[in-house]
Amino acid sequence: MQAIWQKVKADILTRPLISLLVFVTVATSSMLLTLALATLTNLNAPYDRSFEELNAAHLWLYFDRSFVQQRDVERIEALPIVAQSTGLRYNAMSQVRIHGSRTWVSLRALPEETPEVNRLLIIEGQRPRSREDELLVSKDLDDLYEVPIGGSIGIAKADGEEILLPVVGLAYNAMWDTYRSDQPPYVYVSLDTLQSLYPDESSWGWSVGLRLTDPDGVEDALAQIEQLLHEDAVESHTDWRDVRRSAIFGARLNFIFLGAFSFFTILATILVVASSIGSIVLSQYRQIGILKAIGFTQRQVLWLYVGQYLLLSFIGAPIGLLGGVLLSPLPLKNVAASLSTTFRPPIEPHLIAIVLTVPPGVVLLSTLSAAVRGAKLPIIQAIATGAEAPEENDSWLGRTISRLGLPIVLTLGVNEILANALRSLMTGVNLTLGVLGIVFGLTLNGTLDVYRQNPSLLGIVHDAQVTRQRTGDLQTCHLLERAPGVDAFYSELRLEAEIPEERAFTVRAVDGDLHAFPFHISEGRMLRPNTNEAIAGRGLLNWLDLSVGDEVTLVLEDRETHPIVFKIVGQYPEPANMGQMMMVSWPAIDRWVQGLEPRTYLLQLTPDHDPERLKAFLEPGRDPDLNLTFLENAFPDDVVYLQMAIFGLSVILIGIALINVFNTTLLAMQEKMRTIGILKTIGMTPLQVLGMFTMAAGFLGFLATLLGLPLGISFTKGLLTVLSSHFGFGEVVVNIHPLYAFLLVPLMIGVSILGSLIPGRWATRVSIVDVLRSE
Amino acid sequence: MNTLVKATDVQKVYTTGGVAFEALKGVSLAIEEGCFWAIMGHSGSGKSTLLHLIGGLDQPTAGSVRVNEHDLTTMNETELAKFRRKHIGFIFQFFNLVDNLSVRANVELPALLANSRNRSQIRTRSDRLLERLGIDRHADKHPWELSGGEQQRVAIARALINAPTLLLADEPTGNLDSNSGERVLRILQECHESGQTILMVTHDPLAAAEAKRVLFLHDGEFVGALPGGDPEPIAKRMTELK
Repeated sequence: MQAIWQKVKADILTRPLISLLVFVTVATSSMLLTLALATLTNLNAPYDRSFEELNAAHLWLYFDRSFVQQRDVERIEALPIVAQSTGLRYNAMSQVRIHGSRTWVSLRALPEETPEVNRLLIIEGQRPRSREDELLVSKDLDDLYEVPIGGSIGIAKADGEEILLPVVGLAYNAMWDTYRSDQPPYVYVSLDTLQSLYPDESSWGWSVGLRLTDPDGVEDALAQIEQLLHEDAVESHTDWRDVRRSAIFGARLNFIFLGAFSFFTILATILVVASSIGSIVLSQYRQIGILKAIGFTQRQVLWLYVGQYLLLSFIGAPIGLLGGVLLSPLPLKNVAASLSTTFRPPIEPHLIAIVLTVPPGVVLLSTLSAAVRGAKLPIIQAIATGAEAPEENDSWLGRTISRLGLPIVLTLGVNEILANALRSLMTGVNLTLGVLGIVFGLTLNGTLDVYRQNPSLLGIVHDAQVTRQRTGDLQTCHLLERAPGVDAFYSELRLEAEIPEERAFTVRAVDGDLHAFPFHISEGRMLRPNTNEAIAGRGLLNWLDLSVGDEVTLVLEDRETHPIVFKIVGQYPEPANMGQMMMVSWPAIDRWVQGLEPRTYLLQLTPDHDPERLKAFLEPGRDPDLNLTFLENAFPDDVVYLQMAIFGLSVILIGIALINVFNTTLLAMQEKMRTIGILKTIGMTPLQVLGMFTMAAGFLGFLATLLGLPLGISFTKGLLTVLSSHFGFGEVVVNIHPLYAFLLVPLMIGVSILGSLIPGRWATRVSIVDVLRSE
Repeated sequence: MNTLVKATDVQKVYTTGGVAFEALKGVSLAIEEGCFWAIMGHSGSGKSTLLHLIGGLDQPTAGSVRVNEHDLTTMNETELAKFRRKHIGFIFQFFNLVDNLSVRANVELPALLANSRNRSQIRTRSDRLLERLGIDRHADKHPWELSGGEQQRVAIARALINAPTLLLADEPTGNLDSNSGERVLRILQECHESGQTILMVTHDPLAAAEAKRVLFLHDGEFVGALPGGDPEPIAKRMTELK
């Protein structure tokens, strides 16, 4: 054992390049593994983490003021099922103007101190200070209107006057959701500001958030509360489980994309370690032969290599872990913010344990497998040929290249690739993963372009939207008919619908020039106006286990005495509420749902429309009633952010591939010292030596691209189809720009050549005399 | 006759671990075209070092080496590679063939490195050489399938493919049995008879006797010369040098 230890120390210290290579490989891999695992950790149950960290409410009650007193709220708080309460919260409905667009918001007063229950997650900036007229906007408002944090937005006072207030921060509320209820985005202010903007406290809305002793006892709690109060006292409520479902659905996009890339990174990391370490051991077969010749047993040879590489990996893994921990906030703080949760540093025991054991474990296995093969080689053969196994043949590919009259250095390079098939395969797989990552990003990009150019594939058929307040429905329709640049329009009214099993969802009741809009019907046909026909999103059909052609009985807006039967004649890509929506004809049902009128109008504009003229027509004067919003981007910012993340991760994968090409070429160079010496002796110039290595690497890059392109497209198509089925869209039209696909070939060849350039240059400096003298 | 090789006051110093070792101590040598000379000496005498310097594989510490009017000491790596390709053919003790190339591919390699466009001409030349050296039936085999003598004949064919000005042989029989060694020497003799200039390094008096002139190198200096043909005085001189 003493002899082995002496040799381990000597090998580590006297072969610094090999030691450094093992150390750097393990440290880099451990760092990437840390980042990949940290990504998965931050993707894991983001809503549940935020919910716990913010001590969010399980049930939020919105009251009708005319039926509730302060003491009623106190009676609710005293119920045994209620563990904690936010206390009574006040709000007023107001309008804000952001970048010229107006929208309704719920202006909510924040308590002076940070509350114990349902705290806000401050994503950016800070809370409004008391006695300062400052705004804290919700993330959802920012998603819709890109609120300028640090800038100002216009806000309407009770008397209709608009004042500009500074936006000091951006926050996430774990109990805000529009999935089951109709909530406007929230804007938070201090109680003083609410009082100054809306002095009449009787106009304020009341609500309270409750934490329950049994989080799943929401229905029970509601029943007890309704028994305490007037039957109409609770106007609506938010169940934390609905918000959670909605949040999980929203995060699924992030989870699938980032999860897939984390998986790639982990796989690539393992491949890098396995191929590099295996190759390093392979390059030392000659030494193994010599050791056996002087009396080392097979077991001692194994101990020698396992010992030295494990030792180096035990040093490299913690350093890589430290690097990963230090680097992780850079990419992952944004990931956490996009998931509305706090960044979780990768310092959890199980994560640390994985990073400290997996790379050394892979080192152990790859060392053992290569060393066992080496130790089994006959001594003479090992000493005489090293890793250059005598049975190596010139390959059919090499012969073909030679017959084609291509440069001899390419033939030699290709022979080298095929002579070390396993190692080349690992490098090739690594390069292919890089290609796959880029193709994934490019295909996603191309596909998004298709959807951008044709948003109807996403269920978005309008160019602009108008909402009204005081102006009547007929008058609005009349205005829209005369509006310059409006080609067609239809009105929409969202209704609450319930089926007999008390499952609730939202129905779009539409009326107008529906035929003029490019509705994309994935299955069946479009509904006919004035009939009880309906079209439904895939999410709704899946949820209610319905198919096109089925009939469904709905209770609309609690009109239980008039249930209406609809025949589902088609399926359309519903972009909202997980696809759990239905579209029906408003004239067919308006007599059953009296007292309601559409307030939203979807417009199709002429190609030559003048946006300024249309805005001036529909929003004349200082305080217009109609509000026009142009549809500029059908995609949420998250998609753009994810694209960036995917390209970022592709760069990492390419970086890993680059390291692997470097390692492979370096090892090939070390193994081929003798051959390089011979080739130089018979007249190979330094440029030809360099060409031999770079062409071999470039050829590998070329093969990887040929393989990675179709694989990447298939993978993206599969992944997007999975996503599509969750969102309720039809088949995904996957597209990649041919020019980008074509450019990928020189890019990957270039990356491979780049990785081989430095060791290739080292190879040109191999001293012929040293090689000949070593014989 | 023209002087093909002219080495003047050639010194070569190797430094290993901070310790300098003078392998050649200012030797001079002139070889005329068409000669077959041998250099003899014991291990460490500097004979291989001198061969490497004449072949442009290494640069002297001092002095100059000119081969066929080319001053090797002023050439860069690429120029030296092209010089070797065109003017020098090497034969080594351990053959130094490329294992994963066939016999024919090994032979053709220097020609292809020089000019890969005239493949049919190269093929004709290699076929002729393989036939001349009696290894044409092994053309598609790999070096490891051949005997030592056959491998050395492949190495000779490779050395001759570009019709070099100078053939350098470093212990060409040192790794062969006597029959194979004799055959290799016969081939070298035939080459010489056809006008090839040959410089051979050896410590075998029988091999050295094949040359027309034998130079003796001892501790980095020439210490005399004998005519070739008779191995006995050569062996005696070698014994004296011990």
